[in-house]
Amino acid sequence: MAKGRLEMASRRPRARGALEQELLACLAAAQGPLTAAQVRDELGHDTAYTTVMTTLARLHEKRALERTQAGRAYAYALVGEPLDAHANVTAHRMHRLLDEQPDRAGVLARFVAQLDRYEEDMLAKLLERNTRAGRGSAFAGRRPRS
Amino acid sequence: MITLVAVPLLSSLLLAVLAGPIARRVRPTIAVPLITGLALSSALCTGLVLSVTAVLAAAQLGPFPHHGQWSRSALHTASGFPLALGMIALLIVAGCLTAATVQATRWLRALRLVRRACAVLSPSVGNLVLLRDPVPVAYSLAGAGGRIVVSTGMFAALSAPQRRVLLAHESAHLTHRHSLYRHLTSLAAAANPLLRPAVGAVTLATERWADEAAASEVGDRELVARALAQASMAAAKTAVPLGALAAADHGVADRVRLLLSPPKRPRGYVTAAVLTGLASWATTAVITLWANDVVQFAENVYTRR
Repeated sequence: MAKGRLEMASRRPRARGALEQELLACLAAAQGPLTAAQVRDELGHDTAYTTVMTTLARLHEKRALERTQAGRAYAYALVGEPLDAHANVTAHRMHRLLDEQPDRAGVLARFVAQLDRYEEDMLAKLLERNTRAGRGSAFAGRRPRS
Repeated sequence: MITLVAVPLLSSLLLAVLAGPIARRVRPTIAVPLITGLALSSALCTGLVLSVTAVLAAAQLGPFPHHGQWSRSALHTASGFPLALGMIALLIVAGCLTAATVQATRWLRALRLVRRACAVLSPSVGNLVLLRDPVPVAYSLAGAGGRIVVSTGMFAALSAPQRRVLLAHESAHLTHRHSLYRHLTSLAAAANPLLRPAVGAVTLATERWADEAAASEVGDRELVARALAQASMAAAKTAVPLGALAAADHGVADRVRLLLSPPKRPRGYVTAAVLTGLASWATTAVITLWANDVVQFAENVYTRR
């Protein structure tokens, strides 16, 4: 599945489910409908165009995406919002309930925590320093350890 | 002999001290099961030795010597510690058991709640639940196949490779059953409050585990660090104050630093932690055998009379 010059960046071929989720995430981030070619550009070239196209079509079949004809191709977008308005409210209520649990850490694993001012400054500095040090130089040859 | 009771207590304290550095510096696939396992074993050992102490004291009280047919005075001299000490142990054991029971019921309640949440949150693809919300939110829920909940606002704040990191991170939490480790460590800490720091350590170590899993998925640690920083900056901008609770979550800055400059692997911490665990068990065995001897001696004295 992975090919092209960014092969190094993708050490494992993606599982089919993972690619589907990435494409959905891509369209969730987009402002409007995107064609398969636009989605692939957005992803950064390491997945074949045909793979993106068939995966988008599959997501359409699963009713996760809707599509409209855009010239000779299809443009894909998330399915209409009205359906989900209710689900959103429920999700937020659930989130709040889970958040109030005494052992919240066991229930809900957040991607990022809230930052205090000190942490925010430190993060900005850390990232800046690593950018200046040059991409890769600090990590050359270092493999992830798990 | 009774001074040996201090060994499991000291070992709990030592584990509490070591848990932080282990979570930070040992490979998380090892650190998480290690801390959880040692916390559980430490809670068990402490509970056992305190129970033995309590039993030796309680056996001297009221009608017990008569019913059990052992000599009260022989028991007292052979066990060789003041009755008050045994009473204190009894109170501690009762308190710890209550706390552990409370924690276990909390766990069950949380499991039920998560199951309900998973039933309500219908996933768009696989286990990914997409929220139409400009506020950046991303978390995973373990149970009923698990859910990864992400808002459109969070996805919009990240680049495509960073979104891949987020998805890999959250699914690592689910596949490696991180919530189970967290629950078990909380249970151990409830049963033995000395182990409280282990809870935070396991939370951090599971986050690191998911970070490292995402890093090996995308083959780039710096990308993971950037995704974390980007996501938390975005979340900070639209911060919905969640109160003091959210601030207690484990430091993003810490995780970013550990991704950018992986710590040297220290053998010492792991060895020390494992040794204290073993010492704990050895002591528990010795004390249990000794208590058995004491009671037997008291019984012999009783029958000889």
